[in-house]
Amino acid sequence: MISERPVVETNQLTKRYGDLTALDSLSISVDRGRILGFIGHNGAGKTTTIRILVGLCRPTSGHATIAGVDCVKDARKVKHLVGYMPDRFGSYDNMRVREYLDFFGAAFAIPRRDRVKRIDEVLDLTGSRYMQDRYVETLSHGMQQRVGIARTLLHDPEVLILDEPANGLDPQARIDMREILLRLASLGKTLIVTSHILPELSRICDHVAIVHRGKLQAFGSLAEVTRQFQQKRMVEVQLASAEEIGKAVSVIEAAIDEADEITPSAAEAIVRFQTAKLDDDLGRILVRLVEAQVQVTQFREVAGDLEDAYLSVTRDGPAPAP
Amino acid sequence: MLNNPLIRRELIGLLRSRRSVAMLVGVAVAFAILIIARWPSDGIVDLSGSRSRDMFRMFSYALLVSVALFVPVFPSTAIVLEKQRGTLALLLNSPLSAWAIYLGKLSAVLGFALLKLCCTLPAVAACYTLGGVSLQAEIVPLYLILTLACVLYATWGLLVSTIATTTDGAVRGTFGGVLVMFILILVPHYFLQGTGMAGAEIVALLRSVSPIPAVMEIVGQGTVGEIGLSNPDAQVPRFLLFGSVLSMTFAGMTLARLNSTLLDQARAQGKITDDRSPGVKVARRLMFLIDPQRRKAGIHPLVNPVMVKEFRSRQFGRMHWLLRLVAGCALASLGLAFAATLGSEEWGVERIGAILVSMQMALVVLFTPALASGLISSERESGGWELLRMTPLSAGRIVRGKLLSVVWTLLLLLIASLPGYGVMIWIKPVLQAQILQVMVCLVLGAVFSILLSATVSTFFKRTAPATVAAYSLILALWAGSLLIWLGRDAPFGFNFVQTSLLINPMATALSVMGTSGFETYNLTPANWWLMGGGSVILLVLLTARTWWLTRPE
Repeated sequence: MISERPVVETNQLTKRYGDLTALDSLSISVDRGRILGFIGHNGAGKTTTIRILVGLCRPTSGHATIAGVDCVKDARKVKHLVGYMPDRFGSYDNMRVREYLDFFGAAFAIPRRDRVKRIDEVLDLTGSRYMQDRYVETLSHGMQQRVGIARTLLHDPEVLILDEPANGLDPQARIDMREILLRLASLGKTLIVTSHILPELSRICDHVAIVHRGKLQAFGSLAEVTRQFQQKRMVEVQLASAEEIGKAVSVIEAAIDEADEITPSAAEAIVRFQTAKLDDDLGRILVRLVEAQVQVTQFREVAGDLEDAYLSVTRDGPAPAP
Repeated sequence: MLNNPLIRRELIGLLRSRRSVAMLVGVAVAFAILIIARWPSDGIVDLSGSRSRDMFRMFSYALLVSVALFVPVFPSTAIVLEKQRGTLALLLNSPLSAWAIYLGKLSAVLGFALLKLCCTLPAVAACYTLGGVSLQAEIVPLYLILTLACVLYATWGLLVSTIATTTDGAVRGTFGGVLVMFILILVPHYFLQGTGMAGAEIVALLRSVSPIPAVMEIVGQGTVGEIGLSNPDAQVPRFLLFGSVLSMTFAGMTLARLNSTLLDQARAQGKITDDRSPGVKVARRLMFLIDPQRRKAGIHPLVNPVMVKEFRSRQFGRMHWLLRLVAGCALASLGLAFAATLGSEEWGVERIGAILVSMQMALVVLFTPALASGLISSERESGGWELLRMTPLSAGRIVRGKLLSVVWTLLLLLIASLPGYGVMIWIKPVLQAQILQVMVCLVLGAVFSILLSATVSTFFKRTAPATVAAYSLILALWAGSLLIWLGRDAPFGFNFVQTSLLINPMATALSVMGTSGFETYNLTPANWWLMGGGSVILLVLLTARTWWLTRPE
């Protein structure tokens, strides 16, 4: 399913508005069937990138392609390849959901019979069939987001670009949205999703791009990016008994650097420590604990999360090269 | 009253906006220019004061039109905007009573309107200084009438603002109502006066809802357009009575609506016929020519999807509503045709023709800005424009679809009133050529107003100001030229009036029909060239602007 050639590619993409550089030499690529989380503060350059990708905006320099089609030169072709859901729904009064989808289907020149079938398909795919006869303007925000995704899917695009799809949704609607996006990725769609809800993104994205003040600060798989920005690893040692905490702390203290932090928790019978040591060193610490006859029931690294990585980038500026 | 936080917030907020400052400065400058333009330049002393009176007349009419054009703008969106932003819920949940909220809104709007009137005081003082104009008999009553007109249109705007769900809907409703109360209510009296027909007295009374007869009376033109004996002296007190009663009624209705039910307006989705039992389906098939609750078939590939979308997204754009509208127009037209058949000798076919022309032009002026001024701006306001730009639809196709949706609606309305003309030709076959010319005037006028409103729409990001601008332009062009026609004996000369009427298709149609008051003006084919040429320029501008808006930024 996943092909070699990236479906979405940007190369040195730059956009300037007078003196303001909204986007500065952004280069990213996304493979087919992947979900890219596109993260950044408000005004970081996310929407500008998206608008260039969907052909609504011209870059000052650089270029972007979707499935090999240039987003600027072949903006018309790109419209067939991309389904774009902006952060505003774009409601029309007095239209029922099915009529609304019918209009966009007709705008994409989908033949009438195919259109009827396609509307049924996208309604089922997004779990929106029950609202097909409701007026669009009366839908709740969560319902509108579902209909918005159904609209982007109508012309069966290869790439879906969703701007803040989880924004303002309640917990259940968020879970539903996550399931819809994962289902679409499993169908081979390539997704670019922006969101401020980072835990939500980390659950669905396999790749992440973090932009800050128009510049790409981090790009790669979720694991790579979180590791890249984690200065120290957090290790958790679960002991069989809280009585052994003192012994465990002294063994660990002897093995790690002075600046490394140890946090014992007698209530949980856990010792946590942060260190920059590599895997081999951690293995040796475990051996020493066992040799000191400390009964260790678990010895594990606590993975850093996307939020930490994002805050690390946006607070401190660019991270050191991995 | 000054402790009311709404008055402070609203009025100071209004005065802080650039638009308001521009309006105030614009009014002061416009009236100063008007006075300077008409200021006597020769060295002869005008002992009779006729020059001063001419100036005062022109000043009064211009002031009246500016009140009708600008006062409804702010009240029409005052409440609906709060509703949309969610701040109305906060207001209604505050300790402020409905009365305090209403008073705050009304006072702010009226305060601004009165400030505008004050900006015109130096100009009226100049008229007074010239002599020949009475302070007590003319200037004070004029400002009294104008103040009441401000109150009337402000209370109406606030009422519509509580009913409407969108700002553009509120602006349309307000301007539509103002148009009816300001000028359309005069039309039946103009045709029925002196006929002795049933209803003639009622329409004579009803015209006092408009401030125009009262102002005409104040400036000494109360008998213009009147046939036979009339009682022109009664217009000022009548308007004071009607205006006050209507204002109080509107205020009462608004106050009654100003509670939490405003925020609890769930829209019924209705039961879809396709999902109902076979019996119900058959019954509805028999009962309905077009069942509004049936699922629509997909848009046909040969039909412009934008046009269908426009029809479907309009509150009264659905086929069943259009059919009802057409039926209403056809009935009115047949009624007129019937009246023409029975009373052709008393009324004369020309007068029937004039009624038809007026009715059709009123429809055009009332409906066109409402339909066309939001064509592009409403898309930009709702976020739909981004979505349209993401489709492969070209700018030309979008423009065609949008224009066609308005053209078809107006065409249906105009065609529905054709039977009346048919009867006229049958009664008096020699009128055939004249009626054809009238049709040309109407079609060109309709096309021009559609294109003007649609072009205006491309310059705005929100529909409410686009609608205001479109109504203002059309009213300024057409009602303005009719006001000049009202002063055809003084202060305006024949040539000036004729030139002004050249931009007015209704006046042209009336002159073709030989209607009294218009028969002396020769307006064809100059009006056709103006309307046709203007339409072509507007079409090019509209297409260029739409293309500009669809291209990548």
